[in-house]
Amino acid sequence: MAFVQQGENRFIVPIGPQHPALKEPGHFEFVVDGEIVTGASVRLGFVHRGIEKGAEDRTWTQNLYLMERICGICSHIHATAFVQGVEKLAGVEAPPRARAIREIFAELERIHSHMLWLGVAAHEGGFDALFMYSWRDREVVMDILEMLSGNRVNYSANLLGGVKYDITPEMIDKVREGLNYLEERLDHYLDVVNTDETFIARTRGIGKMTREQAQLLGAVGPTARASNFAYDVRVDAPYAAYAEFPVEMVVAEEGDLHARFVVRILETVESIRVLRRIFDNMPESELVARVPRRIPAGETISRVEAPRGELFYFIASNGGEKPERVKVRTPSLCNWGTVITLAVGHKLADMPMILAGIDPCFSCNDRLVMVKRNHQDPQLWTWADLRNYGIEYYR
Amino acid sequence: MNMTLHPLIVLLFFPGGLFLLASGLIFQWADRKLVARFQNRVGPRFLQPLADVLKLLAKEEVIPAGVHRGLFIALPVIALAAALTAALYVPMFGIQPFFSFQGDLIVTIYLLSALTITLGLAGANSVTRFSLVGATRTLTQLFSYEAPFLLAMIGPALVAQSWQIGKINELLSGTTWLIIGQPIGFLVALVGLMGKLELPPFDAPEAETEIVAGALTEYSGRGFALFRLGKDIELVIGLTLVAAFYLGGIANPLEFILKTGALLLVTAMLQTAFARLRIDQTVGLWWRAGALLGLVQILAILVGIYIRQSWL
Repeated sequence: MAFVQQGENRFIVPIGPQHPALKEPGHFEFVVDGEIVTGASVRLGFVHRGIEKGAEDRTWTQNLYLMERICGICSHIHATAFVQGVEKLAGVEAPPRARAIREIFAELERIHSHMLWLGVAAHEGGFDALFMYSWRDREVVMDILEMLSGNRVNYSANLLGGVKYDITPEMIDKVREGLNYLEERLDHYLDVVNTDETFIARTRGIGKMTREQAQLLGAVGPTARASNFAYDVRVDAPYAAYAEFPVEMVVAEEGDLHARFVVRILETVESIRVLRRIFDNMPESELVARVPRRIPAGETISRVEAPRGELFYFIASNGGEKPERVKVRTPSLCNWGTVITLAVGHKLADMPMILAGIDPCFSCNDRLVMVKRNHQDPQLWTWADLRNYGIEYYR
Repeated sequence: MNMTLHPLIVLLFFPGGLFLLASGLIFQWADRKLVARFQNRVGPRFLQPLADVLKLLAKEEVIPAGVHRGLFIALPVIALAAALTAALYVPMFGIQPFFSFQGDLIVTIYLLSALTITLGLAGANSVTRFSLVGATRTLTQLFSYEAPFLLAMIGPALVAQSWQIGKINELLSGTTWLIIGQPIGFLVALVGLMGKLELPPFDAPEAETEIVAGALTEYSGRGFALFRLGKDIELVIGLTLVAAFYLGGIANPLEFILKTGALLLVTAMLQTAFARLRIDQTVGLWWRAGALLGLVQILAILVGIYIRQSWL
């Protein structure tokens, strides 16, 4: 339980790891002076699952399913990043139609992720009507994804060297219908976000981040683009079919919460536009290219644009059936620094919205973190060191 | 409508006591259902509020460490008692209030504020940070809406030349609805009521995404149920007062249901339409807009009365 610390002048309001504002575990401590926040700290690591280590024990194909389960919202993009890295190592290129289908799933996923975020962020600001309506409309894209893949969350569309299933013209017709409805609704939400007085009072000028700050703190994705930092992997280093069907980058000048709302809604609209373009010119080809069971030895980096920003994979192979090392760096991890920095000086009431403003995803950014104060070299630990550390820790 | 009943029946069953509790639960249900429908949700079943209360009453009451035990137990009782007492002076269900004296309007408003003060005390009593922040916000909000709300209640009293709720209600029945003559007063009264009840968008004192449940974070069982009931009854009383003063009085049960129901519909719409205001925004809104508008309304009424008296 959170008691007031006696004898100290600091009044700390804890948020998490169990808190109504956060649906996932993370711990934040806000030092407040009245309602004004004067300091903030973050502690992660409540749901570390050891997926990177687990990947070293599974074959390349098995890992496909493991990677998809890193994140429950952007599952497809994780598998895509992994698959593209492996294909690069194997020297195989996926057929054009497969790459187009990968982009279709990635953009549908972006729509559902951004609409989910819109609802959550509105709820943090106490605007439950927008929350309920955006989640109702999100069901449309969820139904589309279910129709295409049979699943609402883990679509399992990727295979090494291609995709698992085709998208038929009948399916495309249904998807178009859904997209038309969504576009109409998103226009309405953009209108709400731009005109609702109470909503603007809660978002405009709150959590303002300059372009320099965004660069310095290493922000990625819509969070950075809302601060006029024009960087999008889809545009700057096209993968899948983004070279054939490019997206337009959405940036905003203001850098406040309001800009983050606008950027994400406009990005969703842009996703709908690019989806229509793909449907108009679906390339014809087979769906899978052959990938050897053993991947040639080597190292590679694979970058994709997840809904939350740049997703980065490092994959090393020793020429065997299993990867030597898979390292994942998720976008949320890059954005935490901005929350801690921006929180200071704002009111306690703004904290949930600033937190939600980066669209945080907790379980995908939990890593093994080593904090050792008295140790000589924090990078290099021998087995005896680790054993001793464990014994001391639980003594 | 006038009825003669034994005082004990009045206090324990009708229209006080049990009947009041039941109507509080029904109004809570209607409020939740309406908001849910506006938000495209299904909303609770009819017996849900009753089930909530029964469940809470059956639960073990945990008294956290570091609180004043007596206060912790007594505050919910005082809150509910204040709400129940306030109802006696108000024409509930369109029946003339059974207890009435010159000046009971002020007593009623005082009793309604007592409920909010107990909330603030309950928060300040526990040592949890969420409760303390919630208590601060509750009391800050009390100081911001109370004056405009009082001004909005004085307007009709001035028109009726009485400080007796029953008499004001009687005088205003059948005449032109005051909402036409004093639209500003009506608006301030209704929105002030929402601030009093901590309904969205004035729910900063119990903003769940920031401070969990605000002042009531440490309350779980019986105490929480009593506070909840007190607030429900305050909702009924508040709606009745506004309907009696501004919607042409309440003369019979049918008028009571129609008029308070219409007001509830409006408050539910207002609850849905806005994002939560920060506490500093709430205070700013009330003192910059609410209080000034209320004063302008009172001035207009006084000038009107003066002109009428000097000309006739």
